[in-house]
Amino acid sequence: MISSRMKKQCKKLRASLVKKTIGKLSSTLWLQNHIAACPRCRMRIARVARVDFALTLLKSQPHSSDLPARANISAINVLKHSLRESPKADKLRQIESAGAWRQKCGAHIIPLAKTAACLAVILIIKLGVLSSMDNFCKQGSSAVEHYYARHLGQEYADEIFSA
Amino acid sequence: MSTSAANIRLCLDLAFTQSVDESRRWILSAMDRHGPGMVTMLWRILGNEHDVCDAYQQTFLNLAHYQQAGKVRPKNVQAYVFRTAANTAISILRRKQRRRQHLDTMAETKPLQQDVEPCDDLDAKLLQDKLRAAIAKLPNYLRDVVVLRDLAELSYEQVSNILGISAATARVYRSKAITLLAAIMAARSKVTE
Ligand SMILES: [Zn+2]
Repeated sequence: MISSRMKKQCKKLRASLVKKTIGKLSSTLWLQNHIAACPRCRMRIARVARVDFALTLLKSQPHSSDLPARANISAINVLKHSLRESPKADKLRQIESAGAWRQKCGAHIIPLAKTAACLAVILIIKLGVLSSMDNFCKQGSSAVEHYYARHLGQEYADEIFSA
Repeated sequence: MSTSAANIRLCLDLAFTQSVDESRRWILSAMDRHGPGMVTMLWRILGNEHDVCDAYQQTFLNLAHYQQAGKVRPKNVQAYVFRTAANTAISILRRKQRRRQHLDTMAETKPLQQDVEPCDDLDAKLLQDKLRAAIAKLPNYLRDVVVLRDLAELSYEQVSNILGISAATARVYRSKAITLLAAIMAARSKVTE
């Protein structure tokens, strides 16, 4: 039977999950102990971490640098002749956003690395081997590092995980 | 026709064109100001550059028609273009999903049995597709917030301004959306496993 203290902690953790992102959850001792002891909260965290991670992945995928210009060209083509021929339209057809875009994507690389560590929770739950937080961190990190090494190359993975 | 008459006509034509340009120039200004942000948002919703161009074009076509329908221009152009673009993108996403389901049914194929190997979740492409499918399933009021806040990366103030809700409500909707996305994605995983 679940104790009232445990229930309170569940509620507190649920509230924290709503207010903060997984990466910002404080790793206090009560939280670590509670996660280790409460399968429902483990599942809860795992599911939200998965959404967090997927969102970060979406944000870190670059499109081709000429996409804004191509999008503008296709949109300008359906406008009235007077607009199509204006100097402003010409400028929009040649828009260059590669630098800004790369910067925006790059901003997600570190959060991605941080979120990746959270995804470890999912891994451990699936493996069913959560014995302690230390164990969880070690296995999670190495699995995620392995993932990056496999998909992005060892050099890139080293860069992310040594940060 | 004398040369002077032709010149006057040319001047009048030019003046007319310029006045038309003036009255519609705000469409290009909207493209200049909001276009890059819209492309980013559309790319994240759709993950396909051809679809991005389609949704983007449709948005500005709607905007041009808005003016032709007798209305001058939307009160809040940013709200109009972002909401129209997001709605168009979600329609494209849903249409594609329906087509895929239909093809699966036609071919009488079942989803491939996936191993319960934990690294399946680390398949970036699969995870992103699952998230996109889950976003398309959200109720509109939650979806709008998560798309504008998380995919377009607008501030809560901008989101609230676009959707006509308070920033506090936008935060609550965002939390609900994430919880629901987590549940939808978990349910989908159970089906495919
Ligand atoms: Zn709990």
